[in-house]
Amino acid sequence: MGRFLIRRLLQMVPVLLGATFIVFAANFALPGDPVRALGGERTLPPEQHAAIVERYNLEDPLPVQYGKYVAGVVTGDLGESLAVRRGRDVSEVMADAFPITARLALVAFLVEVTIGVSAGIVAGIRRGSFLDTLVKVSTIAVVSIPIFLTALAAQLLFGLRLGWLPIAGTGQGWISYLLPGFVLGSLSLAYVARIMRTSLVETMGADYIRTATAKGLSRSRVIGRHALRNSLIPVVTFLAFDIGALMSGAIVTEGIFNLGGIGGVVFQGIRQQDGPVVVGIVTVLVIIFILANLLVDVLYAVLDPRIRYG
Amino acid sequence: MQSFGSRPRRWLVLLAALPLLVAACDGADDESAAADSSEGGEFSMFLCEPERLLSQASSEVCGFQVLDTIFTGLVEYDAETGEIVDGAGMAESIESDDQRVWTITLKEGWTFHNGEPVTASSFVDAWNWMADPSNEMGNAFFLAMAGFEGYPEVAGGEAEEMSGVEAVDDETIRVTLAEPFGPFELLIGYTGFQPLPEEFYDDPVAFEDAPIGNGPYMMDGEWERGSEIRLVRYDDYEGEAGNADAVNLRIYSEVSTAFLDLQAGEIDLLDGVPPEHRAAAGDEFGDRYLDNPTTGYNYLGFPLYQEEWQDVNLRRSFSMAIDRETIIEQILGGTQTPATSIMPPSMAAHRDDACEYCGYDPDRAAELYAETDGVEEPLQLYFNSGAGLDEWMEAIGLQLSQNLGIEAIEFQSLDWPEYLPLLDGHEAEGPFRLGWGTLYPSPQYAMDPLYTTGAESNSGAYSSEEFDALIAEANTMPVDEADEVYQQAEDVLLEDMPIAPLWYSVDGVAWNDTIGNVVADSRGFVRIPEVIVD
Repeated sequence: MGRFLIRRLLQMVPVLLGATFIVFAANFALPGDPVRALGGERTLPPEQHAAIVERYNLEDPLPVQYGKYVAGVVTGDLGESLAVRRGRDVSEVMADAFPITARLALVAFLVEVTIGVSAGIVAGIRRGSFLDTLVKVSTIAVVSIPIFLTALAAQLLFGLRLGWLPIAGTGQGWISYLLPGFVLGSLSLAYVARIMRTSLVETMGADYIRTATAKGLSRSRVIGRHALRNSLIPVVTFLAFDIGALMSGAIVTEGIFNLGGIGGVVFQGIRQQDGPVVVGIVTVLVIIFILANLLVDVLYAVLDPRIRYG
Repeated sequence: MQSFGSRPRRWLVLLAALPLLVAACDGADDESAAADSSEGGEFSMFLCEPERLLSQASSEVCGFQVLDTIFTGLVEYDAETGEIVDGAGMAESIESDDQRVWTITLKEGWTFHNGEPVTASSFVDAWNWMADPSNEMGNAFFLAMAGFEGYPEVAGGEAEEMSGVEAVDDETIRVTLAEPFGPFELLIGYTGFQPLPEEFYDDPVAFEDAPIGNGPYMMDGEWERGSEIRLVRYDDYEGEAGNADAVNLRIYSEVSTAFLDLQAGEIDLLDGVPPEHRAAAGDEFGDRYLDNPTTGYNYLGFPLYQEEWQDVNLRRSFSMAIDRETIIEQILGGTQTPATSIMPPSMAAHRDDACEYCGYDPDRAAELYAETDGVEEPLQLYFNSGAGLDEWMEAIGLQLSQNLGIEAIEFQSLDWPEYLPLLDGHEAEGPFRLGWGTLYPSPQYAMDPLYTTGAESNSGAYSSEEFDALIAEANTMPVDEADEVYQQAEDVLLEDMPIAPLWYSVDGVAWNDTIGNVVADSRGFVRIPEVIVD
């Protein structure tokens, strides 16, 4: 296992270099002049325009720009934001925004795991029951409704009409994250419930489950010890990928609930062609995806003793 | 509904109130101390995320809202008319015999929030710092425009300081311009000309986290980006003190979310009610809602560098073929005012009936259009993307095709970084949408940078000797005498129609009954010091 981990961590380096280069090149290839856009309808004095272009190395050819960027990153300098948070260090921009996104993703993840897995188990072991139908119908409903609608409805109901939870912002600590976390997690929750259910139904039909039941084991022991463990593998796979997806795909939720997370910063960054900010944040997201992937592989071994890494 | 929700709600409210209770105990002593000085209390309001909190760099209204509260400039404008308010601001007097050499005398005894006295150098050094291109301060534009003597040398790297700006003594600033420039008096009230304390130069980047100003309110803690800025009253302020003790500026990325928070009572004030909620806000808030006509306007520019657009009748016909009122009513929620001239109504020199070709007149438009060679089809209409302009640009296209018989129209929507260089380079092949806001309330700024021959923002390459001469003449006159000449210059534009003025921006401001005395500034923000907490 130790060697496996080291090998996988080392593999991260080329993946990161490749990913940042692609993002860097994509930003480079966008037509237009981000510096000109800083002035808006008024123009910047030409001398100043030149000064900014020089400081951000915007005149250099792509390989030189990228080389300077990587050289900076290696020494811990992620560069300065060009437009979104003009002049602010990208590391600070990320320090402002990432904790918020991480908290939101964590709440959403907990919602999706606890409710999704339990709903899937209930539906799976009582196949054809009312609860099973309820889970199937409600998950279809959740998947079909666009997230901004869910978000708005949740704000109007729980925030404005009932007044149980804050409508937006982060002013009330973790409580502020309940509503957006639930909304963000709802979609994945539906998937988790369905995957869990299908997988459990499949396992329950397997020979070794019949054997276990025939041995006289109690139903809870059959399900808890034998069926669940094997059925969890596809669920864990989905959950791990979803960590990255929750972190990177919360633009709409963050916007509607006014959480100043990375979603809005990246979105603005792309529109304003703020290279340092976009590349910096995407790099961190890539790291999160890779680590989540690694986590899945490790969990496989824990869940299924037949899987071994040398 | 009520009984259904009562139990869990109480529980959550208690939890949520806990930090507030603790805070209230902490703050009890301060409150009693401040109670005797003036109205007191605190409130919270919507704020859009400022791009910068540095006067010399800021150029948008989110930044102005904060900066104009924590700084006091040399002159202050009347919230409605934009005229200079006598006795307000840091200047004791501003004098000039020729509109070229200006002597500004400062009031004595004013201090920055850190106790440092505000002197002539606080201004002079800030302006010099702004002039240096390596500091990348966008408002240097205005030094160039007003013709500060020595600015070109500093911009070109040949000098450190502008020769035309001098701190004669602690209370006196002398500014020499290359040419007489009457609007100077108004210009120096603009955010970009606010002073800076010594501490700024130690670490300009860190300064922006918690700027130290000389205004009625000061920062309480740091600018929490994407979240909040808290201001408290500066008790040693020499000008007219603010009413509330403190204000929480809550930063929102979506104004519709802020509107929900306003309805729920989470915030007390929102400037910028989104168009789709305007009608409802008027009903719901009644006399706690106001329409604030701002200095901004939208226009459709014409590419005069293309031969067919040299024909004035083509430009006039386009302007008259656009039914502004219907678009405002149907698409913009009735929130804007149809433009009837170039200068917005927030300006004293504005006239309601100056424009012959701004009204909707499809028959006359068609007649005029028939006299021209027409446009090359497909007609290209340009606008910037992602700003919610698609719907009304398409409506304009539809009206043009209905009223002028143009059959093929293509829409070109581009992001700013691509859009602006295209316009600068005179490469747009058809009419283009742009906006303009008069950052300081002078007719000069509403016209000069946009329509003078060769001006940087003259995207349509309009050129008129008559207009140039009138503007140049008005610019040399003192502010209180120049309006008539500016109006003559405006008349030239309204004859020539280098653009079709579309509509003036109007902000919707709504607030809860927790506060009162809400005064909106025509630059598009609220005068925080005026607000009284009930």
